[in-house]
Amino acid sequence: MSAGVGVDLQDLWIRFGDFVAVRDANVNINGGDFFSFLGPSGCGKTTILRAVSGFLEPSEGNVLIGGKNMKGIGPNKRPTALIFQNLALFPLMKVWENIAFSMEIQGASAKERRKRADELLDMIALSDQGDKLPSELSGGQRQRVAIARALCAEPDVLLLDEPLSALDLKLRQHMRTELREIQQRVGITFIYITHDQGEALTMSDNIAVMKAGVIDQIGTGKEVYNDPTTPFVASFVGENNVFRGKVSEISGTEALIASNRSGMLRARISTANQGKMRPGDDAMVFIRPEAFALAPASADNDHLVKARVTNEEFEGNAFNIFMEGDGGKEIKVAIPNLGQSFESRLGQTIALDYDIRNAVAMPAGEMATE
Amino acid sequence: MRFSFLRLSIWFYMALFFAYLLGPLVIMSVTAFNSPSFPRMTPWECLTFEWFSALFQDERILNGIKNSIIVGFGTVILSVSMGLAGALMLTQIWPKLRATYYTIIIAPILIPGVVLGISTLVFWDRINRLLGLGADSFLSNGLFLTIIGQSTFIASYCMLVLVARLQRYDIGLTEAALDLGATHAQAFRKILLPFMRPAIASAAVLAFLASFENYNTTTFTFGAYPTLTIELAQKVRYGITPAISALAFIIVVLTVLAALANEANIRRKELAAAANATTVATVSGGIRLPRFLSGNPAAIILVLCAVAVITVAGTAATYSPAQCISDIREQKRIETEKRIQELRREREEREQSKPETTEPAIDPSTTPQSNNSGFGGVFAPDALGIGDDGATAPIEQPEESSGFGGVFDPGNLTTAPETPPADTENTSGFGSVFNPETLGGTSD
Amino acid sequence: MPTFLKGFLERNGTGPGLLMLALVLFWVVGLIILPQLSMVDFSFRPNLPPPEIGGPKDVYTLDNYRHLVFGPKGSSADYNYVDLGVFFRTIVAAICITIFNLILCYPIAYYLGQTKGNHIRVLALMLIIPYWINEILRAFALRIIFGQTGVLNTLLVSLGIFDQPYDFIRNDIALYAGLGYAYILLMIFPIYNVIESLDRNQIEAARDMGASWWRIHRRVVIPYAKPGISSGCTMVFMLSAGALAAPQILGGPSSLWFTQIIYQWFNDNGNWPQGAAYAVVLLVSCILLVLTVMRLFKVNMGDIGK
Repeated sequence: MSAGVGVDLQDLWIRFGDFVAVRDANVNINGGDFFSFLGPSGCGKTTILRAVSGFLEPSEGNVLIGGKNMKGIGPNKRPTALIFQNLALFPLMKVWENIAFSMEIQGASAKERRKRADELLDMIALSDQGDKLPSELSGGQRQRVAIARALCAEPDVLLLDEPLSALDLKLRQHMRTELREIQQRVGITFIYITHDQGEALTMSDNIAVMKAGVIDQIGTGKEVYNDPTTPFVASFVGENNVFRGKVSEISGTEALIASNRSGMLRARISTANQGKMRPGDDAMVFIRPEAFALAPASADNDHLVKARVTNEEFEGNAFNIFMEGDGGKEIKVAIPNLGQSFESRLGQTIALDYDIRNAVAMPAGEMATE
Repeated sequence: MRFSFLRLSIWFYMALFFAYLLGPLVIMSVTAFNSPSFPRMTPWECLTFEWFSALFQDERILNGIKNSIIVGFGTVILSVSMGLAGALMLTQIWPKLRATYYTIIIAPILIPGVVLGISTLVFWDRINRLLGLGADSFLSNGLFLTIIGQSTFIASYCMLVLVARLQRYDIGLTEAALDLGATHAQAFRKILLPFMRPAIASAAVLAFLASFENYNTTTFTFGAYPTLTIELAQKVRYGITPAISALAFIIVVLTVLAALANEANIRRKELAAAANATTVATVSGGIRLPRFLSGNPAAIILVLCAVAVITVAGTAATYSPAQCISDIREQKRIETEKRIQELRREREEREQSKPETTEPAIDPSTTPQSNNSGFGGVFAPDALGIGDDGATAPIEQPEESSGFGGVFDPGNLTTAPETPPADTENTSGFGSVFNPETLGGTSD
Repeated sequence: MPTFLKGFLERNGTGPGLLMLALVLFWVVGLIILPQLSMVDFSFRPNLPPPEIGGPKDVYTLDNYRHLVFGPKGSSADYNYVDLGVFFRTIVAAICITIFNLILCYPIAYYLGQTKGNHIRVLALMLIIPYWINEILRAFALRIIFGQTGVLNTLLVSLGIFDQPYDFIRNDIALYAGLGYAYILLMIFPIYNVIESLDRNQIEAARDMGASWWRIHRRVVIPYAKPGISSGCTMVFMLSAGALAAPQILGGPSSLWFTQIIYQWFNDNGNWPQGAAYAVVLLVSCILLVLTVMRLFKVNMGDIGK
């Protein structure tokens, strides 16, 4: 497999009247990458996808596919294939006709089309379902047919618009693996749109996190999760406890934050914000629930939070412990289930220790509302 | 108690309603088989098929059917394509314009057909003059004007049918096709059009039927090409004959057959769908019916109807009502003679008491009926049994008639004198009696 | 607008887009708007032989309208009582027919809309079949029934209800029955469509709370069905006011329908502008009446045709 065809968005602006759907997006997607746009609904990620597939002309800026500017080229002339959120399988065509539709357009004979469709049906493990109508298939099967139909067009770039959102949880998790496998097999660039950070993290090589038309961060799943650039990314990707306060001291890549309700907290400054924080600035510290460890109540240092246990939730593989710090500050802690119990500690005040590397400090900003 | 009373009254109401709805059609159909030349169900005289042969020998009717079919096809093509374009436009038009646009394209449904006919006529006449074309130009051609005039409002009906389906169309399907390399035209032809096909078919049927039965608009635009409806209206306005009933009967039968066929087809698809889920053999009444019929009442009725039609048509070809008709005629003659005797007696008695005031009180404005006047005969004896004509029937003394006045049945006066009835050969003259109805058909 | 056009052609492709636009423009402008305007224009012109059209005598005049109100020039009467009488009679009769049809059809539409089962389809079929049959033939069927020796008179006389045949045609009963008959479907289907979408639970809930049968309809069903009712009423009113076939076939000899006068101006008297003026009066007054009633009952134009 070749390295595949890359996609570049350069200074991309998309406006609908006065409304700015996409603001100055600059993205380089490497050929053969599984690239995700992650963001809450209405953040403009589908708009970007429609601009890439050619259903929308950008107001400003360029879309380049394989280095070629796509301005003025219609969706039917672009080397992209889009998998729609509702799949958009043609209801009146049989499954195999659906799959081979792009060949029908090119004028291939029925025999050729059938042959190719059967190959793809084999690939998606639906060998004997070709003569059914899409309505006779299950959700997961339809999903795979949509992928096969898109792949049949032999696109350089496959665009997927929240294709798993209609499936139930179990199937969704299964399809994640399957999609990733297909992508690795065909080796073409996948651009994936989702609001589900689990999907983005498990499948993607790179993720762009979007908020209200703006791309906040682009990076691998680990970077986005561990080293968020903005409070929005920190709070949107995965669960996080946020501590607001002011910078009291900067020492190299670490900062000491005087938090409003939880005392002094020492944290690592996220990579993108290093050198941008000054003492006295408003700041936020994000600590993931799983980053906390129980500490003796007597402990006292600058990477410690004290709080009272208010509730315990058993999730199977872990306990979620809900705690209340000073001034009603709510904190969530996740402890792996090793057979222990916290019921007896309800109402007690305990100390929570964390590794400074797992606490991220950054200038205060807007968070995800979810 | 109350519930069942309610239920009963609902059913009673429904029965009345459907009697109002279907009764006239049934009665009209029956009159096509009765021999009197005025379409009537009672009294039943003779079973006859002569009205059908009269119908098929009527050049004007046949020509009207031909014109109707031409206009129908033209209207279907024009109004379905305009309706489809209009419906597609409705889904895309600037939101601010949408309400206005919808009002405009729906308005022709509400504009009286007469107005549409007039405006079409006036407008195209003006265009014709502007272009300096003569009276025989294409633009003043009756077929063209009728198609244009009818399509104006039939397209609105089509648009409504098509929009209903279009609202369920996922525009993503077109986008998917484009994305897979189709051009706009290909996406339209391969995706949208097949999706719309059922609605287009319904719209086309609707358009054809609406065109076929349109009168109000066509009556202003038909020019030299009268459609069937126009011809029918002419006939009905100036004298009605059971031949029209015969035509109505044919249309009713065709309609019912078409409806049943449609119903059977839907049911067959449903059954096929059901059979996909559970393959259970349907046995009806112990006899295994063909697959097409099993569990499909509409199909069964359809087959029965077809058999009945064939049987009737077969009988019609061989059956001759001549004997029956002459029997009836004879019977009536006797009855009438008796009646004449009575009248004569009465009259003599009356003349003895005081001189009669003659009143030529045939209201000239009464929608007139078959021409019986002029002969001093006594007409329509069959009607005498029904109404007491002593009170209503005007007594007239035509010159050629015998000394005694003929008795007119007022009912019979309602047929137009403009159309000379087929039975004018009756000149039997003095005191003779004939039944115009029994003769009407044989004259063909 | 040009951006709209550009987007439109982009969405539909240039070829199909232009074809679509051409068809819609032809329909909207060429078949709907211009002919109506042309008719209005025509109605203000004198009746001239073809060579003089466009000539010096072809000037705008109110004569055609004056004729409707005051009668022909030089007539002794103050007003054109005949034509005005026919006009008002037509409007009033059309209103009565509409109300009659509504009362007749509402229970049927309600029953069809709220009952499930296969027999509903049969009933719907029975409703539709009469409308596949020619308008003229339907009027003809009623003529057979209401004729002097028709089925109804035969029945009534033989039952002894009347002692002599009743002239249904002269007394316009046949006409009203025929007009009512002609547009039943147009009343039933809009109401049926709306009532069918009414959640049965709403009715059950109302019944549960002890609402009477009458109150359920007044408070739940009728407000919900209002768009359908207004749509049906509008169509029935407009069509019966503009009917021509039924009055010609079923109308009594002495009573005319307004459309018949229009027809006479065109076909018998050859005075097109006069006929056009009468047609404009009919159209405008019907539309005004419908709009007034719609305003009164707070219904939108968009509900019509649903």
